[in-house]
Amino acid sequence: MPSISFEKVNKKFGDVSVVEDFSLHVEDGELLVLVGGSGSGKSTILRMVAGLESVTSGTIRIDDRDITHLAPRDRDVAMVFQDYALYPHLTVRDNLSLGLRLRRMPTAEINRRVAWAADMLRIESLLERKPKQLSGGQRQRVAMGRAMVREPLVFLFDEPLSNLDASLRARMRIEIGGLQRRLNTTTVYVTHDQVEAMTLGDRIVVLANGRIQQIGHPIELYRNPINRFVAGFIGTPPMNFVEGNLHRENDRVFFVSEGLRVQLPAERLPGSVPSKAMTLGIRPEDVTLADGKPTSGGAGAARLSGRVLLVERLGGTSHIHFDVGPHRLMAAVSGEDPPAVGDTVGIEVPSERVHLFAADGNALARAE
Amino acid sequence: MMQRPRPERSSMRAEQRSAWSLTAPYAAFLLAFAAYPVFFALALVFMHWDLVTPPSFAGGDNVRLLVTDARFGRAVLNTFVFLAIHLPLQIVTALGLALALNRRLAFRAFWRATFFLPVVISGAVVAILWNALYATDVGLINNLLAKLGGSPIPWLTDPSIAMPAIAVMVTWKNVGFYVIIYLAGLQYIPQSCREAIELDGATAWQRFRHLTLPMLLPQTILVVTLSTINGFQLFIEPYVMTGGGPLRRTYSVVLYMYTNAFSYQKMGYAATIGVALALIIGAVVAAQRRVIGTAEAA
Repeated sequence: MPSISFEKVNKKFGDVSVVEDFSLHVEDGELLVLVGGSGSGKSTILRMVAGLESVTSGTIRIDDRDITHLAPRDRDVAMVFQDYALYPHLTVRDNLSLGLRLRRMPTAEINRRVAWAADMLRIESLLERKPKQLSGGQRQRVAMGRAMVREPLVFLFDEPLSNLDASLRARMRIEIGGLQRRLNTTTVYVTHDQVEAMTLGDRIVVLANGRIQQIGHPIELYRNPINRFVAGFIGTPPMNFVEGNLHRENDRVFFVSEGLRVQLPAERLPGSVPSKAMTLGIRPEDVTLADGKPTSGGAGAARLSGRVLLVERLGGTSHIHFDVGPHRLMAAVSGEDPPAVGDTVGIEVPSERVHLFAADGNALARAE
Repeated sequence: MMQRPRPERSSMRAEQRSAWSLTAPYAAFLLAFAAYPVFFALALVFMHWDLVTPPSFAGGDNVRLLVTDARFGRAVLNTFVFLAIHLPLQIVTALGLALALNRRLAFRAFWRATFFLPVVISGAVVAILWNALYATDVGLINNLLAKLGGSPIPWLTDPSIAMPAIAVMVTWKNVGFYVIIYLAGLQYIPQSCREAIELDGATAWQRFRHLTLPMLLPQTILVVTLSTINGFQLFIEPYVMTGGGPLRRTYSVVLYMYTNAFSYQKMGYAATIGVALALIIGAVVAAQRRVIGTAEAA
């Protein structure tokens, strides 16, 4: 199985730089997810691997072969498009086999591969249909089949699930993950959906404005986001942020903001803090509702008081939105009996779970 | 208790009234200038009429004359010769130009407008212009040939060349219209499909053969149908440029119909030719659709 390496890849459209200094090594058989908002450059990177977009500078290799300037047909990569890009005038069978026929593969081998992919994707009964006679999920399978029969060095997925409804998306996500593990083909997968990224990726690359923000295993990004962007992007519901200042009292350090005071474990802070102005981050699932009267400070957890503004009941869990002073925070709590709107509740923020970001957005202290 | 909604008869009647009044002007126009002439022409098939004296019943005279008339047969053959050259030429040039104009091209709007220009110029003007181009002694084309070392070609006076020459000219005149149709079809091919076939390993020719051409089939059917119907009505070009000669080789069916009607005042026979032409066009277009339809299903 091949690996892909990017060496200082840049892409400009006119004067606009969309990918900057992108260097990365995708391991053999790895499923790497590129995730980011629109305009982050994730699709452009994928299209540069496919050869559908030229590279302004830098090198892309598959194994040791420099593919930077090869034509798409000479790269031996297969891509699954967001709109599936099935050939509307061809049957499913012909959609699957066209790429092989164009490469003048023997008919027996073409038939074997089509049968293999159709069996694997459970689309045997659809082979004589045209794409317009298929549902969204079926088209998605055919698009994957077309990539599979080629037995390419690399799979590229460009937001393949974004045209499907939520339940089908969840199902196809599982199927793609399972399929990739069985085929063990090196895969680059682009999505804007962080849930897709978290569930599918062996590793995730978070992108913003054409630059890599952080690379890591899903849980690593979740636990130790390197900056505020990654912290806000990874994890649902998104992390709570509160602007404030660090305040030292003797050997104790507090994060202080209006209506909120959280003691921080001093040993996790560097000796000199770049600035006093800080942003505190806490994931909604780390915030707990406490019984009894709130107190401020304390060693293990800060206890605050908040007024409930909105309750989103999701069944087993609920999202509680509440005000703490001028700050609006959210807690994700389990149980089927959440507080009511207007209630005043005690809130616990465990100090070892908070994240701190300096004024430039970079993480200062990481929760372990 | 809930009230059942009453059918509002008066408002329905008002709606019908306004529908009729809105369609009436066009319906009147259609009856006067389309339906009436059609029925009149059908009636004329069984009449003798010289435009001066009142029509008289002719029975099957006109039809009998038609099936034995060698000149009519010649005109039909000429028109088929014209179509045999014009149709493929029209499809290839229109498709080729559309493909070229669909690319990123400097002054693309200018080129598109330029190729469309002949479509809006009067057929008679174009014919006169091409008469000058085709002139054997002083024509621009032969002049150019002479400069390249060739001998002059009698474009419009050689019986075997005149009809192909007219076919080329008609193709030139109409190409812009069909380019527009093909351009619209090309815009409809999704960019992702073009990219997918490129990744599937297709060469430029294979991309054209396996994606562009089949996806332009609806447009091709339209181009074939429209240029067949137009081609069968070939008239102004031979009328202005050759008068049907040399040796009647450019005598089209419509030109023959016109001559019978307005030179010989044989309106009944002209109407018979017209009806026969309509039947021929219907049969040919139906046959074409059948052939192309089979190709599509394959």
